[in-house]
Amino acid sequence: MTTRESGRVKEAEKRRVLDDAARKRRARKAIEALERDNFHEDPHADLVMSKKVPKFADSNEKPTRKKKSKSSDYYKMRFRKTFAQLVEEDAGFRPDPPNYMSVQAPPSNFPDRHFCAVCGFPSKYTCIPCGARYCSVKCLGTHLDTRCLKWTA
Amino acid sequence: MSKTSCYIVDNGAYTAKLGISTMEPKVVPNCIMKAKSERRRPFIGSQIDECRDASGLFYILPFQKGFLINWDTQKTVWDYMFSKECCPVNFNETPLIITEPLFNFASIQEAMTEIFFEEYDCQTLLRINATDLADYHYRKMHNNNCTVVVDSGYSYTYIVPYINGKKYREGILRIDVGGKVLTNHLKEVISYRQLNVMDETYVINQVKEDSCFVSQDFMADMEIAQKRGSANTIMKDYVLPDYTTLRRGYLRDIVKKEEDLDQQTLRMNNERFSIPELLFRPSDIGIPQMGIPEGIMHSINSCPEEHMENLLQNIVLYGGNTLFPGFRDRTYNDVRSLALDHYDVNVSLPDNPITYAWEGGKHILTDPDFYSFCMTKEEYEEEGKAVAFEKFDI
Repeated sequence: MTTRESGRVKEAEKRRVLDDAARKRRARKAIEALERDNFHEDPHADLVMSKKVPKFADSNEKPTRKKKSKSSDYYKMRFRKTFAQLVEEDAGFRPDPPNYMSVQAPPSNFPDRHFCAVCGFPSKYTCIPCGARYCSVKCLGTHLDTRCLKWTA
Repeated sequence: MSKTSCYIVDNGAYTAKLGISTMEPKVVPNCIMKAKSERRRPFIGSQIDECRDASGLFYILPFQKGFLINWDTQKTVWDYMFSKECCPVNFNETPLIITEPLFNFASIQEAMTEIFFEEYDCQTLLRINATDLADYHYRKMHNNNCTVVVDSGYSYTYIVPYINGKKYREGILRIDVGGKVLTNHLKEVISYRQLNVMDETYVINQVKEDSCFVSQDFMADMEIAQKRGSANTIMKDYVLPDYTTLRRGYLRDIVKKEEDLDQQTLRMNNERFSIPELLFRPSDIGIPQMGIPEGIMHSINSCPEEHMENLLQNIVLYGGNTLFPGFRDRTYNDVRSLALDHYDVNVSLPDNPITYAWEGGKHILTDPDFYSFCMTKEEYEEEGKAVAFEKFDI
């Protein structure tokens, strides 16, 4: 004999709900995206420079100058290090605080404020599947139609 | 060997402020930009002014997360800056003051020393933090001992306490919110709510500069922004540039549908103040850090107690973000409410917050000990790069 159960509960169990780790991962990705310089491809990337075309800029410079100025590519090779490498190196150069890592501002003592993910006004409610905030049924509808569980920034 | 002028470069991550100390500084974008409309050439620094259509600009920046990473880009931009086209200089005769970020990484510092002595043939070099120059400038003007310098730039906001002209390292604080985060967040918000502008960093940065302000009472402004009709004094339209008749957009009042002109607009409402609000509450977008006023208090509280009063009285703000209307007043009010009642609080914003550190370079040149701060090419050739680490307090 099947036990009686509420249709609402059954429905809710079917829905996919993001766990805490996935929510944090999404939030971190969103913050990382704010660091990007460009969101589109280099518009000149598909330009193919023909070798036959004389490069006017270069031909103006006399090849025999007293002191040869090194090209910018030289410095690219000479000082090539990524940000991550530099941070790692810094741990050896400045092992004790204060250093780059230690001066980062600590968390605020004020409670977090929450804003609607759709319209940006103060929000009272949380989307059950993804944890985003919303302020009204209208905004919830927009949120479910657009970003909820689809958005990967 | 004393010189009456020197060349000062405040080498920011977004704009460099540069020029001979006896003249006005130039503000030059410290990047290379590529436009969709012009396939032939990249635009270096101020050359972007020659670009007719600045939509969809592609940025190549020498700085990443506030540090000089892409040296090939930087070399190209510097070559442009020091050339006749921009602001010519002969380093053989002119000492150079150049700024670097706080806690600059060792290998970047080495590279800086090398490139200026070997590539640009510098005879006298002073590498210094921009905040040092700002503190020097402030102390010259106010004759005080202790200063809190708040540098709100493109990559970060730094809060640095100075006691008797030396930075108090234990009190330094970095908030990972700068102009870049604000522009990118505004871009994101507009793209989701109205129009996809993810490719338009250049234009949206102008939208931010032209329409955003710092709210004095955030929740009250939120309520105003929720009102309809003329009760909503915050809602405005931003007319986007079309690059045929309009080169730079502008903010205008809402016009009724029938008199709607044939221009593409963005509706700016709570975006106008919730974007700069991130400087005061980074937690609004989930960055788990203090905002500027709380950071100032945190920084001052980690300094020796006898200087606290003095520090609170001498807070100076500079950097591009401080240009948002209301920035100073909000900072003052918030710090005032957080500080103990019997202390005086004074927050000042210079007339030109962008070139404030650069102007500081002018003052440091007149310091009788200026040459003892600098490093000469002879010292470099004799003792090598290691001397630079002892010499410069970066």
